[in-house]
Amino acid sequence: MTSLETLKLKLERVPVVSGGQAVRISLLSLVFSFIIFSIFLSIEGANPIDAYSNIFSFALDPNLGLPTTLHRGLFLLFSTLAFVVAYSARLWNVGMEGQFYLGTIGAFAVAYSLPELHPAILIPLMLLAGAIFGAGYGALAGFLRGKLNVNEVVGCLMLNNIAFWLVYLLTVGGPWAGIAESTSRPLPPNAHAPIISYTPFTSYLAIGIAIVLYIFLSKSVVGYKIRVLGNSPTAAQHIGINAPRTYILVMTIGGAIAGLSGYHMWAGDPAFLMIPRPEAYKAIGDLTYWGLIIGLVCLLNPVAAIPTSVFIGSIMMGSTVLVRRLRLPFGLDVLFLGLVSITFAAFQFFYMYKVRRMK
Amino acid sequence: MWPFIARSLEVATILLIAAVGELLNQRSGVINVGIEGLMLLGAAAGFIAALFWGLIPAFIIGMLIGGLFGLVHAILSTSLKVNQVVSGMGIWLFAMGFVTYWADRYSGPLPRGVVSPRIYELSPMFFIALIIVVVIWFILSKTHLGLKVKSVGENPFAAEVSGVKVIRTRYLCTIIGGMLAGLAGAFLSTTYLGAWSHLPTKGLGWIAFALVMFSLWRPLILLGGALTFGFIWQFAISPETIYAGIPAPLPLLRMLPFVATIVVLTIISREKFRRKWALSRPEALGEPYIKE
Repeated sequence: MTSLETLKLKLERVPVVSGGQAVRISLLSLVFSFIIFSIFLSIEGANPIDAYSNIFSFALDPNLGLPTTLHRGLFLLFSTLAFVVAYSARLWNVGMEGQFYLGTIGAFAVAYSLPELHPAILIPLMLLAGAIFGAGYGALAGFLRGKLNVNEVVGCLMLNNIAFWLVYLLTVGGPWAGIAESTSRPLPPNAHAPIISYTPFTSYLAIGIAIVLYIFLSKSVVGYKIRVLGNSPTAAQHIGINAPRTYILVMTIGGAIAGLSGYHMWAGDPAFLMIPRPEAYKAIGDLTYWGLIIGLVCLLNPVAAIPTSVFIGSIMMGSTVLVRRLRLPFGLDVLFLGLVSITFAAFQFFYMYKVRRMK
Repeated sequence: MWPFIARSLEVATILLIAAVGELLNQRSGVINVGIEGLMLLGAAAGFIAALFWGLIPAFIIGMLIGGLFGLVHAILSTSLKVNQVVSGMGIWLFAMGFVTYWADRYSGPLPRGVVSPRIYELSPMFFIALIIVVVIWFILSKTHLGLKVKSVGENPFAAEVSGVKVIRTRYLCTIIGGMLAGLAGAFLSTTYLGAWSHLPTKGLGWIAFALVMFSLWRPLILLGGALTFGFIWQFAISPETIYAGIPAPLPLLRMLPFVATIVVLTIISREKFRRKWALSRPEALGEPYIKE
């Protein structure tokens, strides 16, 4: 009976993917990327089971990797929310990298110019400055898209590269240069983020923003307008939604959220407390593109993005043991992240189609 | 002065080869925002091949790996109908990880034996790039195949009805686009830089991507754009060869190509240009072809 002819497959369009299906698809894609990465691990002479148990036991151990897992994971949450708010209007905010750099500049500018302020005043000021700088940079991309029709993907990428050199200008031999080569001066002690059970308080801020954003997008009038514009620009035009203004609005909100992550990243991790050398801050900046992947995997649901970001954070943190503890070649950890991202992208297919066997 | 011009022509070569490949696949309706990633893969493969086998194999292997990941993009975006931006970004993120793992252990300059031949300090690859552009221009505007490619990019449904294999054409163009991006990357790492350093493309792929938009999807305008941006890019790196007393610090100059890109994009996005732009933009660009 099982001749080749009976094995005809048919694609069926899925109108809407439910949350449960999305979870199943995401887990499936994770399993798939874990299998592929096992091949690389075997090539390098490591036992995959051993490696994976090392990765997660390290990432989730409160005395070892957990603080960094939470810190990096919730850093990704900032980027994800920045992407989600813009993509709700179907605008590709891939400018999180630049907005994060600008947020860094805003926060550090405050810390360096007012180092003596009491932490209770200084830290909120730094966050505010980061949000304003990020929002301004986001608004610039939104203005280019909304008023001048500049493609937002290219526009954002150019702004990201400009922002990278802007940080470079300030840190490497610039006014913020530290004693160590090509890093910035250390942050004043008053600017260090208070740690609340393993993680800086800004992690909770990220979670709070996710919940507020969820309510904003699904319950408020403005959120409704944003979603109408995203789903049907023509319908939006008919009911009088001002598209350019909405584009600027979502990019500004996104930029503000991504800007906050500047403080979270550098002041929240005791390993930094300064802007590191360009390759290192660029490596962190490159992580912001995960916001796009996580946002889409979570079907633009800000609340679902919370656990997903932390999970990706655990992979990010845990995979560093491959190099540091298991003595595997440098770069294997970033390869793992790359594999996870490309399989997530490929598995977007199942968000749109079902494979049916025809009888 | 001439060494500077030769170097900026080499940057133009990189931009030109990568961008003309992107132009081809966009003409068939497929956007590949992963071009920076394809260039990285080509650069890494080319560099490692050059270490072991020399320059010609480097270009061939760079092209092959670019083509391979062009194929991946074609499978994802054409057959699996994943959003093309998502697919391209996925490939880019993958490339950043894979290339770091694969090539960073070979960081450093190429040994002296594999330095590219140069005619008056200019790599002959520049002329090959010109030939590639002319060939693609010729194919697109003068041949039956070019008509097929353009019809697939404009209206895939009408093309299919008139007997053009839409999926096959898109696969072909995306793979060739990937091969050219890979070749551009291999040229970047083995000839222009002659050394491997962590993630060497530094945004060149994105400029090539933007050049395709500036060019109104015409190869000959693209040539002008690539020459201009090659000059700007090289000027930002070594301004002292033009004028020793440039007052601006280096990082400020390095922003220049990106600022220039935004300025040009803003100009061509204005209403007056946009009508012309909208006319030449492939109608089905970025849209998956779904047979109903």
